[in-house]
Amino acid sequence: MKRSTKLILAAGLGLAIAVAGATAASAMLQPGEAAELRASGAAGEQADGYMGVVGSPASDIRSKVEAVNIRRRAHYTDLAAKRGVKIEEAAATVACEIFRDRVAPGQFYRLTDGIWRKRDAAPVPLPHYCG
Amino acid sequence: MREPVLTEERTGATHYAMRWGWLFAPVLLGPAACVQVSAPDKPIEINLNINIRQEVVVRLQQDAKDLLKKDPGVF
Repeated sequence: MKRSTKLILAAGLGLAIAVAGATAASAMLQPGEAAELRASGAAGEQADGYMGVVGSPASDIRSKVEAVNIRRRAHYTDLAAKRGVKIEEAAATVACEIFRDRVAPGQFYRLTDGIWRKRDAAPVPLPHYCG
Repeated sequence: MREPVLTEERTGATHYAMRWGWLFAPVLLGPAACVQVSAPDKPIEINLNINIRQEVVVRLQQDAKDLLKKDPGVF
Protein backbone atom coordinates (compact mmCIF):
# COMPACT_ATOMS: atom_id res chain seq x y z
CA MET A 1 0.00 0.00 0.00
CA LYS A 2 1.30 3.44 -0.87
CA ARG A 3 2.22 5.73 1.94
CA SER A 4 -0.24 8.41 0.80
CA THR A 5 -3.04 5.82 0.80
CA LYS A 6 -2.17 4.89 4.38
CA LEU A 7 -2.28 8.55 5.39
CA ILE A 8 -5.70 8.99 3.81
CA LEU A 9 -7.00 5.88 5.59
CA ALA A 10 -5.61 7.10 8.91
CA ALA A 11 -7.22 10.51 8.44
CA GLY A 12 -10.54 8.86 7.54
CA LEU A 13 -10.43 6.70 10.66
CA GLY A 14 -9.69 9.74 12.82
CA LEU A 15 -12.64 11.59 11.33
CA ALA A 16 -14.95 8.60 11.88
CA ILE A 17 -13.96 8.45 15.56
CA ALA A 18 -14.50 12.21 15.96
CA VAL A 19 -17.96 12.01 14.35
CA ALA A 20 -18.92 9.02 16.52
CA GLY A 21 -17.83 10.93 19.62
CA ALA A 22 -19.84 14.01 18.67
CA THR A 23 -22.92 11.89 17.97
CA ALA A 24 -22.62 10.18 21.35
CA ALA A 25 -22.29 13.57 23.10
CA SER A 26 -25.39 15.02 21.43
CA ALA A 27 -27.34 11.80 21.98
CA MET A 28 -26.75 12.22 25.72
CA LEU A 29 -28.86 15.37 25.70
CA GLN A 30 -32.53 14.46 26.21
CA PRO A 31 -35.45 16.78 25.56
CA GLY A 32 -36.13 18.67 28.79
CA GLU A 33 -32.64 17.88 30.04
CA ALA A 34 -32.09 21.30 31.63
CA ALA A 35 -35.46 21.10 33.41
CA GLU A 36 -34.63 17.63 34.73
CA LEU A 37 -31.26 18.79 35.99
CA ARG A 38 -32.84 21.73 37.81
CA ALA A 39 -35.54 19.48 39.28
CA SER A 40 -32.94 16.98 40.52
CA GLY A 41 -31.39 19.64 42.74
CA ALA A 42 -27.91 18.60 41.62
CA ALA A 43 -27.63 21.55 39.25
CA GLY A 44 -28.91 25.10 39.16
CA GLU A 45 -28.99 28.26 37.10
CA GLN A 46 -26.32 30.94 37.20
CA ALA A 47 -26.37 34.65 36.41
CA ASP A 48 -23.84 34.09 33.64
CA GLY A 49 -26.42 32.13 31.62
CA TYR A 50 -24.96 28.68 32.23
CA MET A 51 -25.93 25.81 34.50
CA GLY A 52 -23.70 24.93 37.40
CA VAL A 53 -23.44 21.88 39.61
CA VAL A 54 -24.53 22.26 43.21
CA GLY A 55 -22.14 20.56 45.61
CA SER A 56 -20.29 17.49 44.31
CA PRO A 57 -22.68 15.50 42.14
CA ALA A 58 -21.97 12.25 40.26
CA SER A 59 -19.92 12.50 37.10
CA ASP A 60 -22.92 11.77 34.85
CA ILE A 61 -24.67 14.89 36.21
CA ARG A 62 -21.51 16.85 35.58
CA SER A 63 -21.29 15.72 31.96
CA LYS A 64 -24.99 16.43 31.37
CA VAL A 65 -24.53 19.96 32.69
CA GLU A 66 -21.52 20.35 30.43
CA ALA A 67 -23.51 19.14 27.41
CA VAL A 68 -26.29 21.64 28.16
CA ASN A 69 -23.75 24.45 28.57
CA ILE A 70 -22.03 23.67 25.28
CA ARG A 71 -25.38 23.98 23.49
CA ARG A 72 -26.16 27.19 25.37
CA ARG A 73 -22.79 28.63 24.47
CA ALA A 74 -23.58 28.04 20.77
CA HIS A 75 -26.92 29.89 21.12
CA TYR A 76 -25.29 32.80 22.97
CA THR A 77 -22.55 33.06 20.37
CA ASP A 78 -25.14 33.18 17.56
CA LEU A 79 -27.29 35.76 19.34
CA ALA A 80 -24.29 37.95 20.21
CA ALA A 81 -23.10 37.91 16.59
CA LYS A 82 -26.59 38.67 15.31
CA ARG A 83 -27.03 41.70 17.56
CA GLY A 84 -23.41 42.88 17.74
CA VAL A 85 -23.00 42.48 21.50
CA LYS A 86 -20.64 40.53 23.75
CA ILE A 87 -21.34 36.83 24.24
CA GLU A 88 -21.43 37.43 28.02
CA GLU A 89 -24.13 40.06 27.56
CA ALA A 90 -26.27 37.79 25.39
CA ALA A 91 -25.80 35.04 27.98
CA ALA A 92 -26.68 37.32 30.92
CA THR A 93 -29.83 38.51 29.15
CA VAL A 94 -30.97 34.92 28.69
CA ALA A 95 -30.10 34.25 32.36
CA CYS A 96 -32.59 36.99 33.36
CA GLU A 97 -35.31 35.11 31.44
CA ILE A 98 -34.26 31.75 32.91
CA PHE A 99 -34.51 33.22 36.42
CA ARG A 100 -37.94 34.65 35.60
CA ASP A 101 -39.43 31.66 33.80
CA ARG A 102 -37.53 28.47 34.48
CA VAL A 103 -36.33 28.32 38.07
CA ALA A 104 -39.19 26.83 40.09
CA PRO A 105 -39.61 26.99 43.89
CA GLY A 106 -37.21 24.54 45.54
CA GLN A 107 -34.67 24.82 42.71
CA PHE A 108 -31.21 26.36 42.90
CA TYR A 109 -29.90 29.63 41.47
CA ARG A 110 -26.69 31.56 41.81
CA LEU A 111 -26.40 35.32 41.39
CA THR A 112 -23.29 37.43 40.91
CA ASP A 113 -22.26 36.88 44.54
CA GLY A 114 -21.50 33.24 43.64
CA ILE A 115 -23.63 31.72 46.41
CA TRP A 116 -26.10 28.94 45.62
CA ARG A 117 -29.59 29.69 46.94
CA LYS A 118 -32.81 27.70 46.85
CA ARG A 119 -35.81 29.54 45.46
CA ASP A 120 -38.77 29.76 47.85
CA ALA A 121 -42.34 30.83 46.97
CA ALA A 122 -41.10 34.32 46.00
CA PRO A 123 -39.58 34.92 42.53
CA VAL A 124 -35.80 34.82 42.10
CA PRO A 125 -34.39 38.29 42.93
CA LEU A 126 -33.03 39.50 39.60
CA PRO A 127 -29.69 41.24 39.00
CA HIS A 128 -30.07 45.02 38.57
CA TYR A 129 -29.38 44.93 34.80
CA CYS A 130 -32.29 42.58 34.08
CA GLY A 131 -34.71 45.54 34.02
CA MET B 1 25.91 23.95 4.67
CA ARG B 2 25.34 20.26 5.26
CA GLU B 3 24.99 18.57 8.60
CA PRO B 4 27.96 16.29 9.30
CA VAL B 5 25.63 13.50 10.34
CA LEU B 6 24.21 13.31 6.84
CA THR B 7 27.58 12.48 5.33
CA GLU B 8 28.41 9.92 7.99
CA GLU B 9 27.84 6.26 7.27
CA ARG B 10 24.59 5.29 8.97
CA THR B 11 25.37 2.23 11.03
CA GLY B 12 24.44 0.71 14.38
CA ALA B 13 22.37 2.68 16.87
CA THR B 14 22.36 5.92 14.85
CA HIS B 15 21.06 4.14 11.80
CA TYR B 16 18.42 2.36 13.87
CA ALA B 17 17.29 5.56 15.57
CA MET B 18 17.07 7.47 12.29
CA ARG B 19 15.19 4.69 10.60
CA TRP B 20 12.72 3.84 13.37
CA GLY B 21 12.77 6.93 15.61
CA TRP B 22 9.68 8.36 13.90
CA LEU B 23 7.68 5.46 15.31
CA PHE B 24 8.10 6.96 18.78
CA ALA B 25 7.00 10.43 17.73
CA PRO B 26 3.30 9.79 18.54
CA VAL B 27 4.31 8.53 22.01
CA LEU B 28 6.33 11.66 22.67
CA LEU B 29 3.69 14.00 21.22
CA GLY B 30 0.83 12.08 22.86
CA PRO B 31 0.31 14.15 26.03
CA ALA B 32 0.45 17.47 24.16
CA ALA B 33 -1.97 16.22 21.50
CA CYS B 34 -4.40 14.95 24.15
CA VAL B 35 -4.63 18.38 25.76
CA GLN B 36 -5.44 19.96 22.40
CA VAL B 37 -8.03 17.34 21.48
CA SER B 38 -9.90 17.54 24.78
CA ALA B 39 -9.92 21.37 24.82
CA PRO B 40 -13.20 21.78 22.86
CA ASP B 41 -15.02 19.64 25.44
CA LYS B 42 -14.54 22.33 28.07
CA PRO B 43 -15.00 25.65 26.31
CA ILE B 44 -16.90 27.27 29.14
CA GLU B 45 -15.40 29.23 31.95
CA ILE B 46 -17.92 30.29 34.51
CA ASN B 47 -17.33 33.92 35.33
CA LEU B 48 -19.96 35.68 37.37
CA ASN B 49 -18.04 38.95 37.61
CA ILE B 50 -19.27 40.31 34.32
CA ASN B 51 -20.04 43.84 33.29
CA ILE B 52 -23.43 43.87 31.62
CA ARG B 53 -24.81 46.93 29.82
CA GLN B 54 -28.45 47.37 30.75
CA GLU B 55 -29.41 48.84 27.36
CA VAL B 56 -28.12 45.61 25.75
CA VAL B 57 -30.23 43.48 28.08
CA VAL B 58 -33.34 45.54 27.28
CA ARG B 59 -32.63 45.33 23.54
CA LEU B 60 -32.09 41.56 23.62
CA GLN B 61 -34.95 40.66 25.96
CA GLN B 62 -37.31 39.46 23.21
CA ASP B 63 -34.51 37.44 21.58
CA ALA B 64 -33.89 35.77 24.95
CA LYS B 65 -37.57 34.89 25.40
CA ASP B 66 -37.66 33.43 21.87
CA LEU B 67 -34.54 31.38 22.52
CA LEU B 68 -36.06 29.77 25.63
CA LYS B 69 -39.08 28.72 23.58
CA LYS B 70 -36.97 27.57 20.62
CA ASP B 71 -34.79 25.12 22.57
CA PRO B 72 -36.61 24.08 25.76
CA GLY B 73 -34.33 21.07 26.22
CA VAL B 74 -31.33 23.31 26.78
CA PHE B 75 -33.09 26.04 28.76
